[in-house]
Amino acid sequence: MTELILQALYSGVLQGGSYALIALGLALVFGAMKVINLAHGELVLLSAYIAYSVEFGLGWNPIFAIPISLVVVCLTSMMVYFVVGRIKKDREINSLILTYGIGVILTNVILLIWKADVRSTGSTWMQEAMVVGPFYSMRSEVLFFVVSLVMMGALWWWLSRSWYGRAVRAVSSNRDAAKLMGIDPGYTELVSFVVAGILAAVAGVALYSYGVVSPAYGSVLTVKAFIITVLAGIGSIPGVLIGALLLGVAEALTVTLASSALQELVGMGLFLLVLFVMPNGLFGAKGRRG
Amino acid sequence: MKNTYRRIGLAALVACGLGLSAAQADELLVGVELPLTGTLARVGAGMNEGIMVAADVFNKTNTKHQVKIITVDNESAPAKAIAAVEKLASQGVLAIDGGYGSNNIAPASDAANKLGLVYVTSGGVDDSLVNSGRKNFFRINNSAGYQKAMVGLLSDLKVKSVSILYSTKEATSGLAHDLEKTLTSKGVTVVAHAFDPAITDFKPIINKVKLQDKSEVIAMVGYENDYVGILRAARVLKPSVKALVGVWSLATPKMAADFPDLMPNVYGTAVLPFPAEFKTTEGKSFNEAYQRIYKKEPDYLGQFGYVQSMLLFNAIARAADKGTLKKDGVAEEMRKTDSETLIGRVQFSSNGDNLNFSHRMGQHQGNKIVIVWPQADATGKANFPGVPW
Repeated sequence: MTELILQALYSGVLQGGSYALIALGLALVFGAMKVINLAHGELVLLSAYIAYSVEFGLGWNPIFAIPISLVVVCLTSMMVYFVVGRIKKDREINSLILTYGIGVILTNVILLIWKADVRSTGSTWMQEAMVVGPFYSMRSEVLFFVVSLVMMGALWWWLSRSWYGRAVRAVSSNRDAAKLMGIDPGYTELVSFVVAGILAAVAGVALYSYGVVSPAYGSVLTVKAFIITVLAGIGSIPGVLIGALLLGVAEALTVTLASSALQELVGMGLFLLVLFVMPNGLFGAKGRRG
Repeated sequence: MKNTYRRIGLAALVACGLGLSAAQADELLVGVELPLTGTLARVGAGMNEGIMVAADVFNKTNTKHQVKIITVDNESAPAKAIAAVEKLASQGVLAIDGGYGSNNIAPASDAANKLGLVYVTSGGVDDSLVNSGRKNFFRINNSAGYQKAMVGLLSDLKVKSVSILYSTKEATSGLAHDLEKTLTSKGVTVVAHAFDPAITDFKPIINKVKLQDKSEVIAMVGYENDYVGILRAARVLKPSVKALVGVWSLATPKMAADFPDLMPNVYGTAVLPFPAEFKTTEGKSFNEAYQRIYKKEPDYLGQFGYVQSMLLFNAIARAADKGTLKKDGVAEEMRKTDSETLIGRVQFSSNGDNLNFSHRMGQHQGNKIVIVWPQADATGKANFPGVPW
């Protein structure tokens, strides 16, 4: 039993890292603009399909798709921003409907270009087992777990140390006050969408390398990312990591100790419990600034 | 100049003649309701290919009747499936062809039943589809046929213990429960593990199989994404099993091409070996038309779509000949069906189920898919024990 639980914890942690990478972009835009980008999962998926094209079209390792994915996904993310930016009234509610619609459009674009087949990497290197003591995983899972931690560290550094990061936090905290300080809120929000695009691009290549994607998978990713974002508390980067790890481990332990059929139920139960006990999420303080 | 007029006159006569024969061939409208977008888009598109090939073959071989297909995408949603049937009925179709996923087929076929339209499918294996009193419902495959093939193979391999991993979706859980019951009654030790369709990491389940179940065989009842996840997890954890057996969408050329490291020695249900060998005239004409239209080897979805459609088109044509199209004639002709098809003999019972459906089991061996069960149709021997790693 110990062996089973240890493996479940390890699998849960790796899965949590993957969830965190997917949720980061959504959390950033949510924190910066109070906009829930319901097309975020489709942006991740777009990057995954680009990785597929690079692998099977050019014969390269999917990792080399990252630069192409960065360009395509960031441009798409900017387009989402320009459309959302045109909303003048009730942006929080209207952006929900708008980004949902953009998600549907992106799903159908993916379907048109790449067809409905399930896709995943064929790279032997990515799928090979990596065994460390009693812990088993694929190489790609460990690789992108490390990438996920690096991306989170970089984002945290960018938000707390760089001028643009501080500007994003200032706009998030008080848009009018930030304006008076000489910050262009529109430009700052655009930057946050671009950074979310970068995160989605990396998350997509990661997802393609250890998981299986299909055109309808985008909405599943968005829901998962949204749960983690709310669980974490708005705008908290460490919260996203902790929330994602918590969800990943809870799911893996449910599979091991009970049944996989209950894992989604347990995930949602955890989400509701945290919200009931801590309405601002795990790391969201009332009146929190930046 | 005289010759030119003569040629023009001759050409006009030929054109009139052709026009006359085209006008004589009546146009039979058939509605196709399928998931072409959404979660079931891949399987819906595969079945649609078979339907289009059937229409092509039927129209080329029939001068008296021509079918015209009207397709509506149900977006993999039950409510949209009902709307699709109603829309097709309003356009005057004579029957509904298609449907995938028991949860979509049930409401869609209910709607067709209320409208007095025949509904034929190969996309739903849930038994409730044929046990709920739908008078005009017909299907060419069923859960029992898949179960028979899996149990037959496992019995021939003299397997003593099996871990069944199954998706909690309706069709897969129904098949898994039936499989568990039948294997248990044969004295096989069975442990069943249900998994949520949203699961992506199967390592915790495979670890249970490895450390607790210690079964000889892993039986997978799911879909392509589930198979990939299970096989990857198994490849990492390497449980000491002797075989991995699945059902639909697994023993296909596409899986062999997309996941060459995961497929060696894996079993799945298969209508034909790969490379496909079509021995009958119908099989050859299907293969020729499929490759001409889609420029690829036909797969099982295409074959099932083709068979169900040809049976329907022929039933409609017979009803048209008898002048009973508006008097429940299509359903009547479907009930009288007794045809040798690409998937074997098809006859419908009173509840619309195919009486003779039994699948075959194929195994990925190198770049080929070899039929290994039943013995009578086998194109090679099973590699047993054999796993992908």
